[in-house]
Amino acid sequence: MRAVPRTDVLVTLMGAPHADDTVTTALRLVQAMLERGGSVQVWTCGYATLLTQRGLGEHKPRNLAEWEVDYPTTATLVADLLAAHPDTLFWYGCRFCSDDRGAVDHLPQVTLRAPARYADNVAAAAKTVLVGVL
Amino acid sequence: MSETLAIMERAYRGAVEKQFFDALYLAVELHRQLGGMDLLLRGPAVGYAAADARVEPIKLGGRVLDTLTDPGRDLRRLQDEGVAVWVERPDIAAFGVGALLPGVGVAEPGEFARRWGDYARVCFL
Repeated sequence: MRAVPRTDVLVTLMGAPHADDTVTTALRLVQAMLERGGSVQVWTCGYATLLTQRGLGEHKPRNLAEWEVDYPTTATLVADLLAAHPDTLFWYGCRFCSDDRGAVDHLPQVTLRAPARYADNVAAAAKTVLVGVL
Repeated sequence: MSETLAIMERAYRGAVEKQFFDALYLAVELHRQLGGMDLLLRGPAVGYAAADARVEPIKLGGRVLDTLTDPGRDLRRLQDEGVAVWVERPDIAAFGVGALLPGVGVAEPGEFARRWGDYARVCFL
């Protein structure tokens, strides 16, 4: 088991995508912390584990009203974030939640961990923020 | 006379995940396929009709994401397609909305509830 790197903040994203603007808010929070030089790890639970599924592809389906516009998927956006901050951002997914929702094909940059190991991630962060409810 | 009354009460549901593909996008198809639609915005969804609402791009990693959900633009598109858009009067002030987008009607509380029987179908989006 790889050790969890020390970070300033752990964002535990429990809220489901598509239901409200929780994911938008959480991603903006992560971006803002990274821009300030902070280090961040994200742990997704529940339906938030769907954000990094490879089955989403790079682009959303075409918009019939704006045929030429590219709409990136959340998998693409998370991959971009990780590529832009390779030493200060780390992305984890809950293995139990992923299995329970059939979200079994994550981006290779995502590390799946058993929920019983969650305390290790909390211990590795100076501060933990839980966003949304399962 | 439109055949469908659509009522939208929940709003702001996944600007990053949905982008264009939200309930207002669905409404375009329902309007086209089901004989026309009237759309009533209630609760926080009245904010969709705010004339001064702006959707700013956000930065994520090395990318500027400028394709977030833009409900005002989508409402105007629905209006262009012939959808009548309404808001309920008490919710305008309750949710801090000022001026409304052009062409948006203001309904009194219960006004549309009394008209449910006039429609072939009523749906919540």
